[in-house]
Amino acid sequence: MAVATPPLVTMLVIPTGIGCEQGGYAGDGLPVARLLAAASGSLITHPNVMNAAALYWSDSRIHYVEGWALDRFSACQLALRPVRRQRVGLLLDAAIEPELKARHLQAADACRAALGLTIGPVLSTDAPLGVSLHRGPSGASWGRLERPDALLRAGERLRAAGATAIAVVARFPDDAGSPALEAYRAGSGVDALAGAEAVISHLLGDHLGIPCAHAPALSPLPLDPGLDPRAAGEELGHTFLPCVLVGLSRAPDLMDWRLAGPRVGAVPVEGAAATTAGNPGLAGNPGLDCAGADTPLITPQALAAVVAPAGALGGAAVLAAAERGVPLITVVNPCLLNVTAAALGLEAAGCTVLPARSYSEAAGLVLALREGLNPESLLRPLVSLS
Amino acid sequence: MTADQPGVPLLLPLELQLERGPGPLLPQIEAALAPHGRPLRWAITAVEAGSEPVLLTLEAVVLQAARP
Repeated sequence: MAVATPPLVTMLVIPTGIGCEQGGYAGDGLPVARLLAAASGSLITHPNVMNAAALYWSDSRIHYVEGWALDRFSACQLALRPVRRQRVGLLLDAAIEPELKARHLQAADACRAALGLTIGPVLSTDAPLGVSLHRGPSGASWGRLERPDALLRAGERLRAAGATAIAVVARFPDDAGSPALEAYRAGSGVDALAGAEAVISHLLGDHLGIPCAHAPALSPLPLDPGLDPRAAGEELGHTFLPCVLVGLSRAPDLMDWRLAGPRVGAVPVEGAAATTAGNPGLAGNPGLDCAGADTPLITPQALAAVVAPAGALGGAAVLAAAERGVPLITVVNPCLLNVTAAALGLEAAGCTVLPARSYSEAAGLVLALREGLNPESLLRPLVSLS
Repeated sequence: MTADQPGVPLLLPLELQLERGPGPLLPQIEAALAPHGRPLRWAITAVEAGSEPVLLTLEAVVLQAARP
């Protein structure tokens, strides 16, 4: 009987808020994740790829890891421990109006009733978070909070109450009718919310060391008959919450790996370090029903390939992996940026770069690596050794 | 209470230019961002082609501790 080829732990990164043609909208990177999960047998990716508002896809081969933890994993500071389920605490911005808040609570109840998720406790911040949206000089979306302290206090209370993961819902400014939103809905713009969302979830993850992800609370938009299919996922319901709850419900635990990896003495994971007392090695509350010490960890050293847009290679997760020798598959996926392997001199610095013209081609490269094939042997002309 | 009052940490957007030195990029970037606060999220958003040394543009959001 043939033995199945072992998984090839692969990371898929499609950065948030830079207008990627594929994966820059409402969960339109999800088919790519499914393809790469099938090719690799084990795919680590982040909420921007997986979240399609009311739509989601659950696959035991896909590990849902928020960007802050993805960066730390890539830098050998965290390992991942798959769990059967997380207890997802729900953190609501005090700025959310009562009717909109009720919609979010009903979405969470629907996920309990229909999907069997473990959700709660629920609490609101003690002050409105004051989210504002910004664009950087490159056009990439970013954001700020007036009251990060209120977010962190609420997160601490949820973790103390037993949450092993946290879904945050912040009230975002409505911008119906703005040129930026119209361009996004027409399929030619940047997700203006995405940068602020990433800042919120990075901040909370950094502080608590447990899986966190964000869904924005917004007023419904008027019908747009010309809506681009890639943006349609966000217009199916009253909230963007279900995908976040599903993703977090099986997000892996984050394990402090700084002492086990090769980068001993690297930049401390401050938030995680603050939570490890009495539970060495564990960054935050453990997930439920994990199989204890026997549960196989996904260690950073197991990472065997990274797939990223060819013009967006200047982020922390991609650079950390590439610079420690993990093969980097760069995919043509136009976006605002042009930060390529050549511009960064990655190959000259000894990094392994495998270009792909599409995600289908990238999946073929992942499969080749998984099977132990040299990708060069698939290309023509094949240059003589002599 | 507003964000610039004592007891409230600040989230600040940042744009930096960095001359690329020899060796791995990541420690160079971390060293460039560290004086500005705790980097929460950053990216190289532009590389000046043809310049020597290579000039990188970084966009970031950093967290600055609360004033006492």
